[in-house]
Amino acid sequence: MKKKSLPKTGKSDKIRREKDPIPWRYCILTLVCGVFLVGGFFLAARAHFSSIDFGIKNSGLKKQIDDLESEKRRLLLLKEIALSPAELKKAAKKLGLTEITASSFETVRSDDAKPDASPNAKNADDKPKPAVAEKNANDRPAEKNGKDGSSKDKPRAAQKDDRTAPPVKIAKK
Amino acid sequence: MQTAFTRFMLIVAFLVLWIGGIGVRLVHLQINQHDALRDKALSQRRDTTREKQLRGTIYDRSNRALAMSVKAKSLYADPGEIDDVETTAKAVAKSLKLKPADVLKSLKDARDAGKRFVWLARKLDEDAVRKLNESLENKDLKKSDLPKTAGLHWKEEQKRSYPYNSLAAQVVGFSNADDVGSAGIEQSQEENLRGAIIKGWQDRDRLGRVYDESDEDAEREPPKDVVLTLNYSIQYKLEQALEQGVKNAAAKSGMAIVMVPQTGEILAMANYPTFDPNKYGESAPENFTNRAIHDIYSPGSVFKLITYGAALNEGIINPNGQVDCTQGYIEVAGHRFNDPHATKWMSYDEALAVSSNVAAIKTGLATGRENFYQYAQRFGIGQPTGVELPAEAGGIFRSPKTWNGDSLASMSIGYEISVSALQMASAYATIANDGIRVQPHIIKEIRNADGKIFSTTEAPKTQVVTSDTARSLKKMLRQVVLTGTGKRAQLNGYTSAGKTGTAWKYDAKLKKINENKYVSSFIGMAPLENPSVVIAVVLDEPGVGARDGGQVSAPIFRDIAEQILPELNVAPDGSLRQENLTADDIPSELDPRSAAKNEKARTEKDADKTAKTETSDKKSADSEKTKDLKTPKKDPKTAPANDKKGTTKKTAQLIIDLPRNKSSGEGTGENT
Repeated sequence: MKKKSLPKTGKSDKIRREKDPIPWRYCILTLVCGVFLVGGFFLAARAHFSSIDFGIKNSGLKKQIDDLESEKRRLLLLKEIALSPAELKKAAKKLGLTEITASSFETVRSDDAKPDASPNAKNADDKPKPAVAEKNANDRPAEKNGKDGSSKDKPRAAQKDDRTAPPVKIAKK
Repeated sequence: MQTAFTRFMLIVAFLVLWIGGIGVRLVHLQINQHDALRDKALSQRRDTTREKQLRGTIYDRSNRALAMSVKAKSLYADPGEIDDVETTAKAVAKSLKLKPADVLKSLKDARDAGKRFVWLARKLDEDAVRKLNESLENKDLKKSDLPKTAGLHWKEEQKRSYPYNSLAAQVVGFSNADDVGSAGIEQSQEENLRGAIIKGWQDRDRLGRVYDESDEDAEREPPKDVVLTLNYSIQYKLEQALEQGVKNAAAKSGMAIVMVPQTGEILAMANYPTFDPNKYGESAPENFTNRAIHDIYSPGSVFKLITYGAALNEGIINPNGQVDCTQGYIEVAGHRFNDPHATKWMSYDEALAVSSNVAAIKTGLATGRENFYQYAQRFGIGQPTGVELPAEAGGIFRSPKTWNGDSLASMSIGYEISVSALQMASAYATIANDGIRVQPHIIKEIRNADGKIFSTTEAPKTQVVTSDTARSLKKMLRQVVLTGTGKRAQLNGYTSAGKTGTAWKYDAKLKKINENKYVSSFIGMAPLENPSVVIAVVLDEPGVGARDGGQVSAPIFRDIAEQILPELNVAPDGSLRQENLTADDIPSELDPRSAAKNEKARTEKDADKTAKTETSDKKSADSEKTKDLKTPKKDPKTAPANDKKGTTKKTAQLIIDLPRNKSSGEGTGENT
């Protein structure tokens, strides 16, 4: 049996192995990639959290808008309530004002201004007249007068009124 | 070497299996369990919301809000989240001024039943919410929402408010606790007014703060606003005048309408007694009824307008033609119709002015059944007017085939017919508008949420009678006010025209007409030449003094017209009205014999009641009142205070004695 000799494993001076240099380029590349990766994660996380933060703020603002709209509507309602005739009446009473109805006015009426279908007009002067009445009483004769509106038929009381211009309506106390 | 390789392969296999396992698990989670896990994740951070948009607003024609909704908050509890139920119940009860025992019971019951939702308070206003949040604040609790108490939460709701309280209550109506319209415009316009339900979601962080939300899913269109033809100021004045009139006449109820004849717009529609829609739960349900469109009654003499209108348009009569009323009665099919007021030859002008029944019946008979029926229908009798309000009555107007021998005669004077106040107002508006009938309407326009007009009401028009006929009728109606039964409707500064009506009521209890109960009305227009308004006033069962339309309803017409015409910038065209009118100056529509009989019976009845209940001082006041009833001389508005007191008491008794019933329109055609 032929003995097979194995090659020597000892170091040979003739064979020089090249020592691998440190792969700086790869390390730097890896590092840069790592930094990019981590930076990306970091930015993503920051964007995520700031988006949540903005979302929270946005919701808060939306709620604020809703609240302000509600408040505006509530104030509109209060305004309507305050402007309602019944409330105005109450407020006026608080201020000491008294309610004036048509019958609360006395009218200075001329003798000539008689109602067209009023046989009882003479007695009518004793009664208080609505505000509209005196306007008509004085206006009508003027309308029927001459073109210039200054007829001699103008009621005496009205003529007097023109000069002295006293208040035609007298509030009944 | 072999061992190393084997080891290496084992490690690789292990890693492959490990990574493969993870991969399989990931695939399983991401694909097979995707939906379930997604839902689970969402449920942890996401709340679904269902918010109802605010209900649309109802405006009057000048954009004053008659009904509007505001946000309100309701407090509810989740008993499962509450650790100390008793303490929480006490705190809540103290803040809401409730009984602690009641709150505790509701919380405990809900907890035992496993419920997770219990209402504690609903629709609180801002102040109450703020106070409650302050009083329930637990500073140690980490909770993003208010109130800072475990298990208590707010829910956004809406509250319907009616800023003008009872103004136009029956027209506007009200919506119930669930924001569903239950009467009036609120009910009829439910589809337009109802707030859309917006479905949405909110993502919350671990502290419960909302960081993302969306509300894109709307179930339906946003609500619309409804603009009415009403004018709040005229409505207020109408209601005030009607209330005063009803009180003065000690009537059971009253209704009034103001219409613009040219457009068919209803400027005001009032009922008395009324109610406050903000507190509808505290009011009697019968007050919710809009009597002006819902209640029907025999119109009586106001219907003569249609009788004369038909005859004039057919050329059967002319206003100056003479009619024989000398007998003072007329018999038709064995039925005698009395007419004590007109016992001579007179013109149709005069006949309408004094409300002669004989003349009206003769006119009706001359017109003929078919003609009469056709004209009444064209005036809108027997069918709903089509106004945009719920539960409008069409009235009762039978076909000629079912009429009796005396039906035409009865109908000619406004019996055997039932109408609503709006139907009659519309008929008079037709005459005021030169014979053109414009369908009454109360909605001016409907607006979108952004304020743009969605739709505008265009009322159909129909020529009912010729303009000549209408003008003749207006002149005849003018005579009623100048010399006839409607003298109290004369206006200061304006010309007016109209007709009084006094009809006996059908008593369902007695199953016949009750001669003690009247429906007194006046329907008129002003100014005469180009009427700006038609005003209808109807009083149900006036209980004091002269109770006919000319005495109790015409003054209300006058009050209203004198107030609103200047407000509508209508130039005065008339003169001063007659003052110092007494009941004797005004032809009464009531048969003096029957009226005296009724008054005597009423007086005796009152005296008996008074003797039992009143003191001797009040007795003397009642005797004065009785004297007034027999010979009514004074305008109820100017009647002395002691008269009013006495009559108010009497009316209260009447209301108690006689339950409310509607006139069914089956009057016998008896003369009033």
